[in-house]
Amino acid sequence: MNKPANTGAVQLSRLPFTFARDHVIWRIGFALAMSLLSAAILILLSGKNPLEAFWAMLAGAFGSPHQIGVALNRTSPYLFAGAGLALCFRAGVINMGSDGQIAMGGVGACAAVLFWPGEAGLLASIAALLAAAICGGLWAGVATAIHLGRRVHEVLATLLLNFVALLLVQLLLSGALGQPGAGFLQSPLMPRGVWLPRVPQFDFHIGVLIAAGLAAIISFVLWRTPLGFAIRVAGKSRRAAAYAGLSAPGITWRVMLISGAMAGLGGGTEILGLHHRLIEGFSSGFGFKAVTVALLGALEPAVTIPGALFVGFLEAGAQAMQRQIGVPSSLVTVIEAITMLFILAATVRRT
Amino acid sequence: MAALLEMRGMVKTYGSLRANDGVDLDVFAGEIVGLLGENGSGKSTLMKLLFGMTEPDAGGIVFKGRELSGHRPREAMAAGIVMIHQHFMLVEAMTVLENIMLGWEEAGKLLRRGTIADRIREASERLGLDLDPDVRVADLPLGRRQRIEILKAVLRDADLLILDEPTSNLAPSEINELLNILRRLRSEGKGIVFITHKMPEVIEVCDRVVVLRAGKVAGKAGIAGADKASLAAMMVGRDVTAPLSVEPKAAGAVRLDIRALKAQDLGPLDLRLRGGEILGIAGVDGNGQLELAETLAGLRPVESGAITLDGAEITHATAARRTEAGLAYMPADRSTTALVKSMTIAENLMLRDSHRQPFSKGGLLDREATRKEARSLMERFDIRAPSEQTLAGSLSGGNQQKIVIARELARQPAVLVAHQPTWGLDPGATRFVLERMIALRDAGSAVIYISSELEEVLAVGDRIAVLAGGRIAGLVSRAEVDMTRIGLWMSERAA
Repeated sequence: MNKPANTGAVQLSRLPFTFARDHVIWRIGFALAMSLLSAAILILLSGKNPLEAFWAMLAGAFGSPHQIGVALNRTSPYLFAGAGLALCFRAGVINMGSDGQIAMGGVGACAAVLFWPGEAGLLASIAALLAAAICGGLWAGVATAIHLGRRVHEVLATLLLNFVALLLVQLLLSGALGQPGAGFLQSPLMPRGVWLPRVPQFDFHIGVLIAAGLAAIISFVLWRTPLGFAIRVAGKSRRAAAYAGLSAPGITWRVMLISGAMAGLGGGTEILGLHHRLIEGFSSGFGFKAVTVALLGALEPAVTIPGALFVGFLEAGAQAMQRQIGVPSSLVTVIEAITMLFILAATVRRT
Repeated sequence: MAALLEMRGMVKTYGSLRANDGVDLDVFAGEIVGLLGENGSGKSTLMKLLFGMTEPDAGGIVFKGRELSGHRPREAMAAGIVMIHQHFMLVEAMTVLENIMLGWEEAGKLLRRGTIADRIREASERLGLDLDPDVRVADLPLGRRQRIEILKAVLRDADLLILDEPTSNLAPSEINELLNILRRLRSEGKGIVFITHKMPEVIEVCDRVVVLRAGKVAGKAGIAGADKASLAAMMVGRDVTAPLSVEPKAAGAVRLDIRALKAQDLGPLDLRLRGGEILGIAGVDGNGQLELAETLAGLRPVESGAITLDGAEITHATAARRTEAGLAYMPADRSTTALVKSMTIAENLMLRDSHRQPFSKGGLLDREATRKEARSLMERFDIRAPSEQTLAGSLSGGNQQKIVIARELARQPAVLVAHQPTWGLDPGATRFVLERMIALRDAGSAVIYISSELEEVLAVGDRIAVLAGGRIAGLVSRAEVDMTRIGLWMSERAA
């Protein structure tokens, strides 16, 4: 394990990339222009007018307070999970299990509400959010225990537990948490008293606001506390961290639990704020969007806020474009992916 | 005879810094020119100008009778100039043959694998490189890898080879072999520029020496008649080879007690250090030096035995607890262990103490106090950098090591373990490190000074131990040093 100093190349960082920070505004501008151009060509090829399509997209994202609210609701889970991942990646711990952690957060929130003994009100909401954070954190904890205890690479441990989580949700929805006779795998509707409050006029639930606040707190932890310093050192050089007397397992546990709890909260707020019930597959694909958000935010927890907003608004606009112009839905996915690829290509650098 | 390479009046300024200030350099075919200079004296800038990696403000380059100007690195290489870097540009998973073919355009077009393999064998035989074309680079020791780079240059008919610090990663026997290879290249009519700050090698192999200081040629000398002291004085502008003043101190109480210590590839060994003494540990690299240093620092598990520091047992204590107990450690691996190069000087100074005063207060990092502390440490330990926010990786090796010294010594440790603390440093910085070790000793601490540079160990050690095969082969006080016995101990292997 410990090579002597002079045996050639050593791994400097556990992450194989860095971010280019020079002229970043121009880079992103250029990337956006290129993705618009590619999208225009694809839309032309599918026989639609790109200008009309783009207009529909803009209107879909920003056209009315309601549309903005829709986009902000989409942003919420991505921001929760993405800000947590940014911290994880900073420590050089690659958590690919947000999908499962979000799903488990949903389970926690749903179970807390269904089994809440008292009146469905603010207290129940808070308990449900706490349960969501705990379940998400526990799920990340299972992965961490496997990773550290059995030396399984964290990517494998977290990734594979996603499938277990999804099946667990199905199992619970066909049993203890399910709504009998619904025909779908879903829980009963939650009482109104536990729904997250919504912001009037725009009509989005307060999840995105909580997420932004937590992202700011995580950023503070990263830059202003000894723990954050330890995380930054560990992410840059595990050897320097060991030399500095910082415990690598301790750091891994902390960032995994924090990012798991954040993902769990993302799932919980999605249930309490948007669906008002647990639905099978409600979080499908969220985890990977969260990875993109963490990268768009250059692993800077506070910068994941604009990153998540970008993804949220892009998705809301693309969906509107699909509805109004009739662009095929697969093409919408392609355009979303191309845009993210261009932006990442403009900012991420191999080390 | 016209020179192979003529560089005339090279000037390059970066802002207010005159990195090259009218430098001349001639290299003839069939000679080895030593290019000496401290870090920051302008050696790298001169080579960048030669390769066209940056534009000169003034001056001209003539190579093989042709003017080279406004050129790019590719063109310099095509003209027949090859640079062999300190860090090799090799693909470890590929064979020697594949690495040599990599990026060699003619090889792909005109030659077959078999032909190239034959040429490799032929050249390897001729120059004594001992390289098999079909061996994977990953399976070769560092010295052998370097020869692949030399072979690349030879097969591509380079006329001028520039070697940047070629011996800094090599074991003593490998250094000798490299010097022999260079002599053979010289006899084949190649021009060689040997960049280094190791004096003995220069004297052994070079025909002429050019010394740079502060961007100017401080001196040129034929090797006949040059000696270490005069070359070093030319480099630094002052005499740094004068003997260090190491009046033995009356040793104090026992500060570090190592009993029957055993770990993987180490021991069992016993050592006892008193306050006010430096124990120099000599030995050929790879004989347990890293194991001893890391075991003492708490980075490797102890199998049996006991370590006691100032009366407190720390045999199985964590690295953090040892730091608390008063143990400081300067690892040999400066770039990924002792420092985080992509962090600032201030962050590196707080690396091992981030949760303590003055770096933290009330559980939060105290940025203002950290900055103040960093500036004061930079002042006290003469760390030269634009500001405390400068990235550690952008500093010279000497200044990087000063960060480590500042951090470890600021804690006023009971015991310091220093492993190869002068590795890769120029004479000025080496002197600084040695003087700090002695000052620490004089203040009553105990120092374990581990180095494969025997001369340094003898210069600072109050007692000298020799590590061979992970065990102490012998231990003497400085007054009783007998070079033959030390040589014998060094060649001893654990049975």
